[in-house]
Amino acid sequence: MSFSPSLNRYASHMLTKKLPPLQSFLSRFSRHTSHLARQQYDVIVVGGGHAGTEAAAAAARVGAETLLVTQKIQTIGALSCNPSLGGVGKGHLVKEIDALDGLCGRAGDWAGIFFSILNRRKGPAVWGPRAQLDRQQYREFIQSELLSTPRLTVLEGSVEELLVSEPNPEEPGHHRVTGIHLANGSQPISASSVVLTTGTFLSGSLFMGQSTSPGGRIGDAPSSAGLSWTLRERLGLRTGRLRTGTPPRIVKDSVDLSLVEVHPPDSHPTPFSFLNKNIRCKEDAKGPRYCPSIESRVLRFPGRQHQVWLEPEGLTSDLLYPQGLSMTMPPDVQLRLIREIPGLHRAEIHTPGYGVQYDFVCPTQLSPALQVKSTQGLFLAGQINGTTGYEEAAAQGLWAGVNAARWALSMPAVALSRTESYIGVLIDDLVSRGVTEPYRMFTSRAEFRTSLRPDNADLRLTLKGFEEVGCVSALRYQEAVRVRDSLQDAMAALQALTLSTPIWRKKLPDMRMSENKNTLVNGMEVLQYNDVSFEMLASAFPECLSSHKEFAQRIKIEAVYRPHCQLQKKEIERIQKEENMSLPQDIDYFSLPVSLSQEVREILDRVRPTTLGAATRLQGITPAAIVHLLNYVRHRGQEERRTHRQQPEKREEREEELAARNASLPQ
Amino acid sequence: MLPSMYRGLWRAAVHTLRASKGNPPSRFLSTCNGVSSGLADAETIFALSSGHGRCGVAVVRVSGPASATALSCMTGLTRSLPAPRTALLRSITDPQSKEVLDRGLVLWFPAPHSFTGEDSLELHIHGGPAVITAVLQALGSVPGMRPAEAGEFTRRAFQAGKLGLTEVEGLGDLIHAETEAQRRQALRQMSGELGRLYQDWSHKLKRCLAHVEAFIDFSEDELIEDGVLNQVDRSVCDLQAEMERHLKDERRGERLRSGVQVVIAGATNAGKSSLLNTLCQRPAAIVSPIAGTTRDVVETALDIGGFPVLLSDTAGLRDSPDLVEREGVRRARERVEQADLTLVVVDSAHLPSDAQKAATILQGHLRSVLPTQEQPKTVFSADRFLLVLNKTDLLPEEQRLKLHRELRLVSGLPPVSLISCHTNKGLQDFLTVLHSSVKTLCGDPLSGAPTLTQARHRAHLQQCFAALAQYQRYRDIDLALAAEGVRLALTSLGRITGRVGAEEILDIIFKDFCIGK
Repeated sequence: MSFSPSLNRYASHMLTKKLPPLQSFLSRFSRHTSHLARQQYDVIVVGGGHAGTEAAAAAARVGAETLLVTQKIQTIGALSCNPSLGGVGKGHLVKEIDALDGLCGRAGDWAGIFFSILNRRKGPAVWGPRAQLDRQQYREFIQSELLSTPRLTVLEGSVEELLVSEPNPEEPGHHRVTGIHLANGSQPISASSVVLTTGTFLSGSLFMGQSTSPGGRIGDAPSSAGLSWTLRERLGLRTGRLRTGTPPRIVKDSVDLSLVEVHPPDSHPTPFSFLNKNIRCKEDAKGPRYCPSIESRVLRFPGRQHQVWLEPEGLTSDLLYPQGLSMTMPPDVQLRLIREIPGLHRAEIHTPGYGVQYDFVCPTQLSPALQVKSTQGLFLAGQINGTTGYEEAAAQGLWAGVNAARWALSMPAVALSRTESYIGVLIDDLVSRGVTEPYRMFTSRAEFRTSLRPDNADLRLTLKGFEEVGCVSALRYQEAVRVRDSLQDAMAALQALTLSTPIWRKKLPDMRMSENKNTLVNGMEVLQYNDVSFEMLASAFPECLSSHKEFAQRIKIEAVYRPHCQLQKKEIERIQKEENMSLPQDIDYFSLPVSLSQEVREILDRVRPTTLGAATRLQGITPAAIVHLLNYVRHRGQEERRTHRQQPEKREEREEELAARNASLPQ
Repeated sequence: MLPSMYRGLWRAAVHTLRASKGNPPSRFLSTCNGVSSGLADAETIFALSSGHGRCGVAVVRVSGPASATALSCMTGLTRSLPAPRTALLRSITDPQSKEVLDRGLVLWFPAPHSFTGEDSLELHIHGGPAVITAVLQALGSVPGMRPAEAGEFTRRAFQAGKLGLTEVEGLGDLIHAETEAQRRQALRQMSGELGRLYQDWSHKLKRCLAHVEAFIDFSEDELIEDGVLNQVDRSVCDLQAEMERHLKDERRGERLRSGVQVVIAGATNAGKSSLLNTLCQRPAAIVSPIAGTTRDVVETALDIGGFPVLLSDTAGLRDSPDLVEREGVRRARERVEQADLTLVVVDSAHLPSDAQKAATILQGHLRSVLPTQEQPKTVFSADRFLLVLNKTDLLPEEQRLKLHRELRLVSGLPPVSLISCHTNKGLQDFLTVLHSSVKTLCGDPLSGAPTLTQARHRAHLQQCFAALAQYQRYRDIDLALAAEGVRLALTSLGRITGRVGAEEILDIIFKDFCIGK
């Protein structure tokens, strides 16, 4: 085995924006329950990682009085593994979280040391915005943001127990969350919703070499066993076990930097957030995938070359993060291995790598709102659902927080479709298929990749986030509306620009337009040509186009992708309609008076799909079964309408029947 | 084929519910001022609606907005459409070559008063295969027309709200029957050379897509070199060339077997080959008293009462240490699985004289022949199995009569025929039973319909070919759009060979590349 290391250069520029002084904030926060302002909240979020912070912030944005409980306020927003955010697929998630007014996009822009767009040459639909982060600055941003969020209280403490009501005798197995009990608190804290984002801490155990110890992250206390017990024994949730790991951290000064390849940053850094127009810092690093353990890679792919990225841990840190070297061997073996790598022959390990084994709750037991189906008001997000990665956790956290708040405020649950977002793909994959290994986002998981691009996340989600979900601020909404209107104006102007091919050729001499054509072509079509940019068109037709230059790149992307999105539109609409047909969660599939096989009844009873769309994606469900189910749902709908005495509907039905009788007969 | 059924069905189902649910506002910029969604189901479909086999009149049905165009350009009625629901005798011509294909009745059902609720057209033409093929091909050349998927007319009727609640209940059963018939038909085609070819293409395309996806999702972090794409380029190029040759080939590769598939199966030495020889009236298969004489499948084409039948004799089912014979038994089982009708041959001399006991033994024979994954309840359906008790010349006459009399009273058995291939006694009765089964099967438009499936395959292959061109067009400009081309190609081919999911692609990625997990 050989290694080809690359070193990221780190930035010399310090960020100049001032954060509010953190210590003054911290002092305002009580660290003991006795100082707690109240004993009752709408939403309690347990855990201060990427899922927990987004969940708490989102719940507060929706309007719920929210309490975030974490073991240490200091580690809120900690980057436990790699010091970077985004990438291919993951960057899509960050853009979508930002479009829904989440934290991590802005935090990444603030703490980014340098930025790059991965896959730059492969087409805008798969561009992967990514940034190397300063750990401390990221943490500070998240903490300061949370501490200044209205309706959000942060409390340091360890959750001893999850409080749930006895199941309703009418609905056996259906519990309701009532609150939590803290380890050293005398009084329980009550809430309508609880979001659990315990990451790797649920029955977590750390291991290195042969030795193991309980815990979810090195340096932090293990979480209470009570939570795990309640989930498994009291609520009867099925759990599984997963493992992950982190590489050793290397002392920067011990590395011979002259022997490694240096990768330069993008010259024009692109921010994650739709609210940020530019970035102050100017240098770049390339980065990691999700924590691959070096042992398993060598076992699976012997005799191949492996790539290791050396990434700075922060602007002021003297440590390097060797991306691609996650390992759990004894420390002396780790050191021997590291020193086999060119440039690292004298490297010193600051902290050895280690592995974590932890419990996850099989996510098929959740609804698309990330609520546990059998327990009202209990929401799960992040690694507890079997995913890996900051971005995956943050995305779930945001959506669980939104729905936890809506549940507490008696608003209906909201779902994101896989046809409109990667967050929807992530959640749908989790709740309808489950996981067998840590789930990570890839662009190839999204069927409608050409429509779900990083560039249009705001148009896909911000408007909906404000109008239907309530988790987006008015400021961001107004910006998204402005963007939408400007793009529409620009495209209307391009479409109005209809000229014959000879005239286009005269106006744009550099363009290679097919010679034999002599037809009318509009500006949108011309912009589809690879060698035509919006700037070229704007300088050729300044009177009608120059006012739209702000969105030159987005207009170009729209023009190229539009025909392909049109092709997908039909399929997207089909899926959206399927997803709109919900199956009641209280159906007794075994006594349903339709002809379904016992096997199909068992599958439906076990999985309890929330929509007919989800039912079609289940293995073992036959098309015939779907027809029967559909008929049942339709029939039920009609019954309900009859009880509501909507006469016109009935008349319409009669007319339909009459017309059917007049029709030619089936054979 | 199954996924496409889901899709069509869903579209239909969803459509009917739209009134109550409302349409979610589209959130895609690209659809903000897009095409009207009314075009979604604008395709016009056609199919042979009557049964296959030799018949006097064949009915071809057309449904959808292009029906009127098809009507006027194939019957020369350019000025005005005929009166609704009135039969009209016309010459039917090819719209391109203007060649007269047949003379037949034309019926016009304008929307909404038709079975599907759409503009519909029926052509009643002569039943010869050449005429039917020519008319179907001519319809296929009209713009906006495509061959119907199985059951699509019924689905459109469902969509238009033309089916009552009881009929919808029936639709579920119909779809079950269709999928079952399709499964058998697909198995049949997929075991042929053509099937292997499509599977091979599908496999190559999956690899191409996996490699492109790996390059998109992982090349920035892992050592995946640009060479991966060069491999894909070569594969796509080769595939395009192969498909082009295949589509141009007038013979279209292997001729799909037409006719009802009848398979003779049973234990060794029951007289299966003798039955084949008796039925085709020539010594097509070698017969001997030695058990295990027939080792491979012997096929012969027959005409049973005017219906085309492909009769196959198979090796006797037993566990044999002989490698050749074991392969024969494997092939025999494969044939039974693909069969429309199976003749289970039993040596009657080995049956006890008590009818109840004999029935138990016969059920054992049936089970041993049965494809493993079938449900027990379908075992005894008369339209899939016939029991043939052979060698009745070895039975005393009174026992033969007793079995004949009593076995038909036993419930749970398919029709039983007692024959002797030696003396031909009972053969005439057996032929009557066989004829009625084959007739039932031929009335089912799904059993052996080569023209229809071929036309559908061709349409999918053409889409696949066009999608590969998209890969090449965008290869160096936008890899996401290039990958979309390969995806579309695979989806089109998947409609012939079976669906491909995202997880399958990821599996290939992880198998082929050093990507950490």
